[in-house]
Amino acid sequence: MDKLDEPDRHPTPGHLSAFGRGRLSRRRSREVVRHLLTDCATCRQAAERIPCYGEAFHRSWLEVERRQESLALERAAAPELLRELLAQTGERQWEMVAQEPRFQTWTLCELLLDASRDWGFQSPARALELSQLGIDVAMRLDPAVYGETRVNDLFARAWVTLGNAQRIRSDFAAAEKSFGQAERLLKQGTGDPLEKAHLLLHRASFLGNQQRFSEAFRLLDRVASIARRCDDAQLHGKALITRGFLLGIAHDPEAAIRYLAAGIRKLDTVSDPRLLVAAHHNLTLYLTESGRYREALGLLENARPLYHQVGDQMSLIRLRWLEGKIAAALGQFLEAEELLKGVRQELIERELGFDTALLSLDLADVYIRQGRSAEMRRLAEEMIPIFRSRDIHRESLAALLTFQKAAEMESVTLGLIREVSGYLKESRAASSLRSREPR
Amino acid sequence: MATLDHPELRESLNILLKSSRPRLERVLRNFEIPPEDAEDILQDAQLTLLYKWDKIRSPESWLIGTVKKKCIMYWRKRRGSLCEAVDTAILDLLAVPQAPDQEKAELTCDLNRVLSRLSTRCRSLLKLRYGLGYGPTEVAEQMGYRISSIRKVTNRCLAALTRQLLAVGFQQPDGEPQDG
Repeated sequence: MDKLDEPDRHPTPGHLSAFGRGRLSRRRSREVVRHLLTDCATCRQAAERIPCYGEAFHRSWLEVERRQESLALERAAAPELLRELLAQTGERQWEMVAQEPRFQTWTLCELLLDASRDWGFQSPARALELSQLGIDVAMRLDPAVYGETRVNDLFARAWVTLGNAQRIRSDFAAAEKSFGQAERLLKQGTGDPLEKAHLLLHRASFLGNQQRFSEAFRLLDRVASIARRCDDAQLHGKALITRGFLLGIAHDPEAAIRYLAAGIRKLDTVSDPRLLVAAHHNLTLYLTESGRYREALGLLENARPLYHQVGDQMSLIRLRWLEGKIAAALGQFLEAEELLKGVRQELIERELGFDTALLSLDLADVYIRQGRSAEMRRLAEEMIPIFRSRDIHRESLAALLTFQKAAEMESVTLGLIREVSGYLKESRAASSLRSREPR
Repeated sequence: MATLDHPELRESLNILLKSSRPRLERVLRNFEIPPEDAEDILQDAQLTLLYKWDKIRSPESWLIGTVKKKCIMYWRKRRGSLCEAVDTAILDLLAVPQAPDQEKAELTCDLNRVLSRLSTRCRSLLKLRYGLGYGPTEVAEQMGYRISSIRKVTNRCLAALTRQLLAVGFQQPDGEPQDG
């Protein structure tokens, strides 16, 4: 037997430590194990000694400080880089990102993804372009600078943003692929639960848009659990609000109201006003549809400054639409008609065919309750050409044609309006008035 | 969360890392992370926090949770290789061709003493492996396990044995199920 294999010789602390970390040669490992088999109390004690982490904390902090300096420069430069980039044509933007390393930064990528999220509601096409550019930047990030697993996290976030933009455009097949890609990248990421929650939240919206509610709710339960673990009330609020939105699509307005109200209570009112507006908007809508007009009006009054604070045109258009619906429900037909007609014109100008159709049905509701069949007929005649010019499901068009026929024969009823309206909402729940879930 | 300017970010991070240090040290100690490897774990978690600062709403909870998770991953990775090293070393020791009888007897005696502290299942399995030199398939047949599950069972028993030899890295402060 090798002298070193003698069982009564203590391994050095260095050998013990290296063995524990799996960094000892096979021969040395054999010596250590042979010794440990003798039940050596000294070595067990040595292995169990209280470690000192002072040096580890110090050295780690030095590296964080060093990275902080360069990140500060990067952060300062990023807004201007974004402006410069977005001032170019689409093709030129791609060239600049590919050719100029100053555009290949973490912060610029984050800004592009945030911008995509902000544009998602106003201009889905723009949101799509921004997220695609974000993916391109993420793909070019240097793992040696940012760390490979962190780059994979951000890359995954970019794919989630793209998937969400595709969902908003109802391109579900492409969205499915994007979410799949994000999931694969997250497996090679840092394991950050917040990134996972971000993916689950958007995937839940995607599943909900396809009426796959139980799958969506399971994902939202996981998001809520991550939020609790990470002590993140905002994330918890988002999960509740998304659930509220999906419950609305699933024809359970009472539950939707409960979840939306609970979600709003958890949100930080300063950090994400857009999300807050979206939540208030849906809550007001469901209160209105449940006949709780006074509550809806009160809520709308409270939320009005928020709409103006967010300030994008689509939010304000939808605010007026909601006001029109409430006015109609309260029998204030003149005000309702004026509001809805104004909104309708804006939707037509923006080529939002589905929304125009839904709004037209709200206007039809106002006309029928006043017995104004001539206006109803004209409205119905105008709806079909708008629809024909868009990429609309044949079934939806058929439903509108039924409505038009009934209008011609002066046999439109409130029931028919609700039926057609419900049908349209279901056939494209993702992109209608109700699609203002948090992003 | 609003984006912080550089001096604000630096100060906030500094305060956070100072205030969370006692808790982080406790996590590292509970998980028995060797100081040489603690730096990697800390640095990785802290750099990720730095890059994602604007997206993380409760940085201290996030940091503690992330370091805990990294510690679990650390041992999950290490434990496998440590158990493998113990297993290989024992097989090597038993295979030394011309060892004197007395040394062989001592080794067998020491090994049996350690094995006697394991569960009956692990004791029987490891006796077949070390005492009779059975391979995994033979052990599975002898003990009535499916071939597909014998590797998992063996690994658990090796972990239990390793824990008897070197009580490091097998504590589970957050309730993760123990091997063996």
